[in-house]
Amino acid sequence: MAQFLLETVWLVPCYALIGGLLAVPWSPGIIRKTGPRPAGYINLVMTFLAFLHSAIALQATWNHLPEEVFIPWLSTAGLDLTIALEISSVSVSALVVITGLNLLAQIYAVGYMEMDWGWGRFYSLLGLFEAGLCALVLCNSLFFSYVILEILTLGTYLLVGLWFSQPLVVSGARDAFLTKRVGDLFLLMGVLALWPLAGTWNYTELAQWATTANVNPTAIALVGLALIAGPMGKCAQFPLHLWLDEAMEGPVPSTILRNSVVVASGAWVLIKLQPVLSLSPIVSSAMVAIGVVTSVGASLIAIAQIDLKRCQSYSVSAYMGLVFIAVGVQQYETALLLVLTHAISAALLVMSTGGIIWNSITQDVTQLGGLWTRRPISAIAFIVGTLGLIAFPPLGSFWALVKLADGLWETQPWLVGVVITVNALTAVSLTREFALIFGGKATQMSQRSPEAHWPMVLPMVILLGFSLHLPLVLQSLSILPDWATLNKDVALLLIWSSISSCGITAVVYLGNIPKPIRLPWQGLQNFFAYDFYTPKLYKMTIIFGVAKISQLADMIDRFVVDGIVNFVGLFSLLGGEGLKYSTSGQTQFYALTVLLGVSILGMWVTWSFWEVQFLNLIS
Amino acid sequence: MQLQYFLLLAAALFCIGIFGLITSRNAVRVLMSIELLLNAVNLNLMAFSNFLDSTLIKGQVFTVFVITVAAAEAAVGLAIVLAIYRNRDTVDMEQFNLLKW
Repeated sequence: MAQFLLETVWLVPCYALIGGLLAVPWSPGIIRKTGPRPAGYINLVMTFLAFLHSAIALQATWNHLPEEVFIPWLSTAGLDLTIALEISSVSVSALVVITGLNLLAQIYAVGYMEMDWGWGRFYSLLGLFEAGLCALVLCNSLFFSYVILEILTLGTYLLVGLWFSQPLVVSGARDAFLTKRVGDLFLLMGVLALWPLAGTWNYTELAQWATTANVNPTAIALVGLALIAGPMGKCAQFPLHLWLDEAMEGPVPSTILRNSVVVASGAWVLIKLQPVLSLSPIVSSAMVAIGVVTSVGASLIAIAQIDLKRCQSYSVSAYMGLVFIAVGVQQYETALLLVLTHAISAALLVMSTGGIIWNSITQDVTQLGGLWTRRPISAIAFIVGTLGLIAFPPLGSFWALVKLADGLWETQPWLVGVVITVNALTAVSLTREFALIFGGKATQMSQRSPEAHWPMVLPMVILLGFSLHLPLVLQSLSILPDWATLNKDVALLLIWSSISSCGITAVVYLGNIPKPIRLPWQGLQNFFAYDFYTPKLYKMTIIFGVAKISQLADMIDRFVVDGIVNFVGLFSLLGGEGLKYSTSGQTQFYALTVLLGVSILGMWVTWSFWEVQFLNLIS
Repeated sequence: MQLQYFLLLAAALFCIGIFGLITSRNAVRVLMSIELLLNAVNLNLMAFSNFLDSTLIKGQVFTVFVITVAAAEAAVGLAIVLAIYRNRDTVDMEQFNLLKW
């Protein structure tokens, strides 16, 4: 049974896709009488099937060698595009994580989207996302990864733009699409340039090729930079990070998915490409540099936000930056572990705060407070999510961060500093959120704030339990780094940084220091609060440039190209208008022209007879 | 060498006629210029018939025909001038520029 399910694990993306398609008829325009809820239920069933399938298959795949499945797609002269699927324990566990988180997010959405009519659209897009992500993790071909990434980019556009009657949603969806699109197009350049070098797009073959590849260092550096540009946009790394901030305009349940798994889709491709990327030291250092800048910058920004969802979106960017660092220093497994632990903690955090937003309405953390006594479950979920995200043993991310720092300790100690800084800053930002939401006195907005109803609390609690059990699960699968061989100094530094930052922040925000807290230098605070003025930066550079060039091209088209063609018409028109005056109405003038014509013609015809004499005469 | 002188005289007459045809403002004077043209042609024909075809004198036959046709043409021309004069009370050629562009 399990073996059969393992062999047919490629059906998992199909379940989700079918679920997504089946949700469509409950759009308000098609089935008008029943209301939209069946769309959600059908999707839940299909996602549950997918989860069950992949969970059973996971048992069968354990301690098995990876298998490859080939599905022919298109074969033309000189190019064979076969969809290669890799069925390994890693990919199937990724399926379990994706379908599991999607299942929880969909149950959550049943509660959250209760007062919304757009279930058909919402759930079909969630189904599309689930299908895309499952297909991405199964897919073992760079080309088809790119195809799926592009489909997911379109999906992001539609999902962020769910409530399109809000102007900020429309601009946010636009930015999310275009920013990710730019990265994807660079990725396409890399994908196309890799073909003549490697002759394959299969990740396994690419890895084999990379072991013995002898290529021009400049060429592979350029290809590698193009290849990381795609994940850079997907993972919301600097400078392509603004879209994630604006994508927070979308509904919360989709945010769960986006923060936990969708941004990780870029990281997945990055991890898969790691053998190719490590061919060029320039690319590796670029990844580390991007990761460092993003993780430090984004965690600083996260501290300065007042919008609950945006606080968390920048933490996501920061952790994806850590993944970039991990891939940049060739720590493949750490990156995967980090993606897993981050996904679960980030999902838990979004679920917890999504419930707060759901019935406290405001997203402004400065207007919330004192929810600890009223919302204990959300608060505990938030605490566990926080501890699972920062380095706090024995919860998930501690192991990933320790492993990362441990690997860096000998070679690049300054990166350990970065990891510790990011950890400390994230701890500060999450503790700040916790203290502002759950601590302090109840404000007007949070005075009457009951716990959310069961469809929102249930997935939160399940995920809470899972995130508490995650270390045990990982331990039993012997994925966790061995405590005995770990560098205890690093681990202690990380733990100390988490505890001290949480402690200091808690004292600052729960103590008697006047709120809102102001930095001594207001400019710096605004600098972080407006995320380094990135929108202005975009407006002044790329948008300005493209807009000006477009205007110029438009003017050239209107005036030069159109002008030349119109000039031909105008010239004929004016020619007619001007030449008609040759018809003067004077009979004598006509006689003159007749005579002139006859004499010129006569001279021309007889020119040869008197040419010599005439020329002699005038010379 | 007699022929050239006749021809030159005829050409001169023809050119005078052309000048009159194109510059005259009086319509009758235009008709008179046309008569000059035709008579220049007649001179040519007579000269050619004398010097080149003195036996068959086809040129003289042509000349008789030209004189006849010229008389008819002058009559019709004057009739047209009269017809225009009746309508417009003038024979000034510069007033007859109604059929322009």
